[in-house]
Amino acid sequence: MRPSDLIQGTLDVLILKAVATEPRHGWAIAKRIQAASGDVLQIKQGSLYPALHRLEQQGWIRAEWRTNETGREAKFYSLTRAGRAQLDEELSQWERLSAAIRLALRNA
Amino acid sequence: MSFRWFDVARLRVRSLLRRGRVEAELDRELRAHLEAQIEENIRFGMPAEQARFEALRTFGGVDRVKEEVRDVRGVSLIENVARDLRYTLRGLRHDPMLLVAAATSVALGVGGNIAVYSLAREILFTTPDARAAETLVRMQVSHGSHASYPRWLDLNASGALDAVAGYSIDKQVNWFQGDHAVSLTPMIVTANFFEVVGVPISLGRGFAEPEARAERDPRVVVVSHAFWQRELAGDSTVLGRRLVLNGEPYTIVGVLAPKVRSVVGFGIAPGVYLPVNRAIVPEIRAPNAAVVVLVGRLKAGQTLVEGRAAVDAVDRRLGRLQGDTLYAGVQEFEPVGGLTGKMGRAARTFFGLLGVVSVLVLLIACANVAGLLIARGTTRRREIAIRLALGGTRARLLQQLLVEGFWLALLGTMCGAALSVAFMRLVNGLTLPIPVPIELHLAPDRATFAAALGLVFVSMMLCALLPALAATHGGLTPALKREERSYVGRGLRLRSLLLIGQVTVSTVLLVTAFLFVRNLARSQSTNPGFEVEDALVAELGLDEARSMQEHIAFLERAVDRVRGLPGVKDVAYSRVLPLSTHSGSSNGRSVHIDGRPAEHMEYALGQVGPGYFGAMGIRLLQGREFGSSDVAAGPRVAIVNEQFARRYLRGANAVGRHLRFTDDTTDIEIVGMVANSKHNSLGEEQRAALYHPVRQYTGGLGVAFLVARVRTNPAALVTATRRAIGELDRSVAVDVKPMRSALAFALLPSQVGAVVLGTLGGLGLVLAMFGLYAIVAYSVSRRVGEIAIRSALGATHRQVVGLVLRDSSALVGVGVLLGLGIAAFVTRPLTTFLVAGLSATDPLSFAATAGAFALVSALASWLPAMRATRVSPALAMRLE
Repeated sequence: MRPSDLIQGTLDVLILKAVATEPRHGWAIAKRIQAASGDVLQIKQGSLYPALHRLEQQGWIRAEWRTNETGREAKFYSLTRAGRAQLDEELSQWERLSAAIRLALRNA
Repeated sequence: MSFRWFDVARLRVRSLLRRGRVEAELDRELRAHLEAQIEENIRFGMPAEQARFEALRTFGGVDRVKEEVRDVRGVSLIENVARDLRYTLRGLRHDPMLLVAAATSVALGVGGNIAVYSLAREILFTTPDARAAETLVRMQVSHGSHASYPRWLDLNASGALDAVAGYSIDKQVNWFQGDHAVSLTPMIVTANFFEVVGVPISLGRGFAEPEARAERDPRVVVVSHAFWQRELAGDSTVLGRRLVLNGEPYTIVGVLAPKVRSVVGFGIAPGVYLPVNRAIVPEIRAPNAAVVVLVGRLKAGQTLVEGRAAVDAVDRRLGRLQGDTLYAGVQEFEPVGGLTGKMGRAARTFFGLLGVVSVLVLLIACANVAGLLIARGTTRRREIAIRLALGGTRARLLQQLLVEGFWLALLGTMCGAALSVAFMRLVNGLTLPIPVPIELHLAPDRATFAAALGLVFVSMMLCALLPALAATHGGLTPALKREERSYVGRGLRLRSLLLIGQVTVSTVLLVTAFLFVRNLARSQSTNPGFEVEDALVAELGLDEARSMQEHIAFLERAVDRVRGLPGVKDVAYSRVLPLSTHSGSSNGRSVHIDGRPAEHMEYALGQVGPGYFGAMGIRLLQGREFGSSDVAAGPRVAIVNEQFARRYLRGANAVGRHLRFTDDTTDIEIVGMVANSKHNSLGEEQRAALYHPVRQYTGGLGVAFLVARVRTNPAALVTATRRAIGELDRSVAVDVKPMRSALAFALLPSQVGAVVLGTLGGLGLVLAMFGLYAIVAYSVSRRVGEIAIRSALGATHRQVVGLVLRDSSALVGVGVLLGLGIAAFVTRPLTTFLVAGLSATDPLSFAATAGAFALVSALASWLPAMRATRVSPALAMRLE
């Protein structure tokens, strides 16, 4: 699936989820989303950055410069408290929505 | 949650303040990403070059991502605008022709708007200089605009409002300055006027109760700042000095603050303020005399509606006490500064018209600039296409093109504002031929500045939005392939539509302008029913307190002296002068004709002296003129005009008929009938008129006229006449003018209308023609190839010119037809401003407009057409 096929706003949840366990930098987040979806979601890596910066502006993630596993400087993003609350909110909404769709598809 | 807001704000500010660092960080971040991807690709065994290429491919456009991130950060808008401002300014500097043409267009359009706006604000919407002007109201009670003096006393004492004051500017007084006298139009006010209104005073004080109570016949005066400066040389010891007004000394007690706007409005600024007294207003005791316009101060917390109801109740009660069954209570009750009455409504309509016209001129002006920008857009098509291909968004490009329009609008508005300031100076210095002094204080202020700022953005949008949309519209391929025709064609179509719109609008303007010019011409050539040329008018300011016998004796001696001057044929005195500000009154009364049952008559009433009709050049059709035998004690006589006889007397013979008014026992015999003439305005329908001898007039005489019929140029006799009358009585104010200039007042409205609308209409025409020239020149330059081929194939110059003219005349033709159609509807409400007999759909004005367009548009396309004929086929085809 291409990012334009993703439901609007889904990229935000995926990013929040990807940085929920540990701080990651942009490339790692892209890889993580790709791997976690079993390589189904191929996102254009560049489109990640506007979303990252938007989430940072909204105060859901914060950024800091650290060295990565290969010893290079990279900008690492981690979840803030507000971000975690937002993620929980979005996840439960997503659960409700997908459950509803599943139900609808089964009964229709 | 609050810390989040703080964080967001911090990030935004950081983005803004430390743009360089944010940019660098973004750069580093993206580079780190790409390097990580490249490393991974190499790990998977790609060669370095391919690893790099693949990494970039999976990432997408780096610059576009940066742009989007900037958008997210909210920096880009401001930053981009700043960059666009610099970039477009550089671009425009290389195109001085565009800059000059656009700035001129916008300047004319904007200048006109600012001028009209500031004039309208000064005349229509300025609140007078008064304490808490918002709680001051102007009211009309009973049947007229003015209330009687007793009614004012009662209303003021009633407590319906906090206080009620009154003023009038309807009389003239005579200011004697040692060796000669001049006539002044004072503001005659009630004793409490300065206290109630709270007019700002710069020197001394306003007079007050009880010193200025009318019953004590006060002799005090407050002068305006301008009067003090102009007439009293700004004398710092002016307080206590005396002005001899109507033969009596008045003590100056105060000087108003500079540039005070009076409660009368319309810029009317009387030089002297006098308290009501028995000398100036002999009729103060009369229960029904019209003495003062009422101004009231609302009580604290009292609304306009409550105030109106309170005054209405009191006024009705007072009316009943007087046995006035027709009493109608409050007629008008509005905040001061509002436009009440007939004059206010006419002014409102006129300024409404002016506002619409000036907005239309702005539209035409901006359409010109839009046309130029569309042309510029087509030539810059490749640049725009390349930028779109490189990832520039349409919104970004639109923004840049609008910023370009902003520069043009800003430059134009600045020039326009300068123009309008020059106009304001001009208007402030203008003197009008009316007896009441007018002071306009037009000056650029905060509101003008705000209006100018608004106009910058309005004209930016009008000029640049359409061209910007057109330039960024459509696919890239034709532009990149230099397939010009497709979008040049579209650009031209769009400009053609704009031009048709322009021509349509300016046709409407021009029709209006022609109507007003025709109106002026008509008014000037309208026969008023008397001989305007070869006549001299002396306006005499008399002391109203003197007796009628004294006045008559003086007037008769003056007539004799002037008759003795060489070149004078005939002289008469009169209380009225038609088409002046003293043109007599309009009456409606019930009358018995020859003892028959009473019927209602409406007529113009005037009091004239012996030989008046001869001196005026009004033909005597039957009977005789008034003579020296028609004295106050003698039988009452009257002369009627033809219209009066036709409408009310219903018989061939007017002479010998008798009139008796129902509220009067005196019998009046008609002794003569004269030809019809105009009374109040040239545009009026023919009115019935009734004349009485001045000697039988019972009111006070404040102003009188001498009319002299002369054999030579009247201007040559002005000085001699003034001296002849002045030597008789130095206390009389004498103002002598040729009759034509004395009647300038009657032509004033048509003159103002013709000048203002003629100017704006002309401006519209010039701007539209400028647009036509630009578009024809442009289309010729685009059709060089075609013209070259035609010439090569043997087309003559005449045919080439014809080709160009045919196109332009089609555009203009469509526009003019549309415009004339619209004008036929639009001009209908203008009838109020036009003289009788000139229709709002005057065919001549319409034809003249069409003619003017045909002529001017032929000229505008002629130059480019001539250029087209000089196209050398060989050269042009090589260019292709």
